[in-house]
Amino acid sequence: MRVLLIVSMCAAGFWMGAAPAQAHHSMAGFDRKQTVVLTGTVQEFRWENPHSSIDIDVADKDGKVVTWKIEMTAPGYLVRQGFKRTSVKKGDVATVTANPLISGDPGALFVSIRLPDGQVLPQPAASKDKAK
Amino acid sequence: MKRAFPSPALAAAAVTLMASLGLMAQSLAPLNEKGVAVGALAPEALNKARPKPAFDITGTWLHGGGANNPWQFAPPPGAKLTSSAQIQFDAAKKAAAEGKAYHDDIGECWPAGLPIIMTRVWPIAMIQKPTVIYMISGFMNSVRIIYLDGRKHTDPDIVIPSFNGESIGHWENDTLVVDTTAFVDHHHWIDTGVPASDQLHVVERMKLINQGATLEIEYSMTDPKNWEGEWKWTKRWRRVDDQEITEAQCLPDLNQNLLSTGPKQNVR
Repeated sequence: MRVLLIVSMCAAGFWMGAAPAQAHHSMAGFDRKQTVVLTGTVQEFRWENPHSSIDIDVADKDGKVVTWKIEMTAPGYLVRQGFKRTSVKKGDVATVTANPLISGDPGALFVSIRLPDGQVLPQPAASKDKAK
Repeated sequence: MKRAFPSPALAAAAVTLMASLGLMAQSLAPLNEKGVAVGALAPEALNKARPKPAFDITGTWLHGGGANNPWQFAPPPGAKLTSSAQIQFDAAKKAAAEGKAYHDDIGECWPAGLPIIMTRVWPIAMIQKPTVIYMISGFMNSVRIIYLDGRKHTDPDIVIPSFNGESIGHWENDTLVVDTTAFVDHHHWIDTGVPASDQLHVVERMKLINQGATLEIEYSMTDPKNWEGEWKWTKRWRRVDDQEITEAQCLPDLNQNLLSTGPKQNVR
């Protein structure tokens, strides 16, 4: 169930275009040409300014569980993408698509999430406004 | 009767302190004909007869972005940095080639400061009164104040340096000309690897165009500690009547959840 994949930008191009979340700080540390697909168990979803973020526990191919920190844009922009404060809950088994840190640390820049009920956020028609 | 001060010497010191505080106050707000300081929001200031302003900037604005309207204030073609700034600029390029940020002080919750606070992708609430414009960014709720009440820049020996500086505006026909000085000399950047110093001088020529739907600002900046001559850019904002600013604090625990602000991803 918990799988970590690294896919090319082309393979994930739809979501790359739909939700390139930005932050209040430099994005230089993220590899925007790569995406990781992380399926795991949500530990925390922080609904706060100037960023929201998700901690998600993901098992690697050896079964070792690693907590990934997923950096998101501001809640004001997430609302425009279809999020609510309660959209992501502790214990949810979800799949996050994100741009990984170049350093290899378990952190990434949020692109999209598939929730337990199959809903994918951001919604395809979401606003392109971003916070940084 | 109990005396307020136990000794004449202490009383004299208190008088001196109060007098110096009064002097400071008089320096930070213009004096009326009676020599009394009048703040920008005092009824006396607001009710004073003044020429009608060319426009009212009141509203919520968002930098427009786009290929011809980047949020960055990158050095213009042919720009020449001072030797000390060039070292920083080259180090920033090296960091970028390694996939790292360079002195990303905003990421550590330092204020963005003028000019880049104006072009963050966060809305800015602007409120214009006859004597003053308040700009409150949705980004860390940074407050910028532009005085329109005819005051001069504060005495450099008294002014308190800040990240947004001290802004004084005046009207020239359809344009609001804003002159800003008194910046801090640390943790303040014009662009990645391009520092701002306490010698930074920003002049903005603000206009409303497109039937008031677009705010256009022409920037002219000098900073002899960091570059030669005057750099110019023109930026545009759009009204976002459907948006509000909210409280957005950069708190000490924020970066615990943002690995991208950590030492492996940053050169400091």
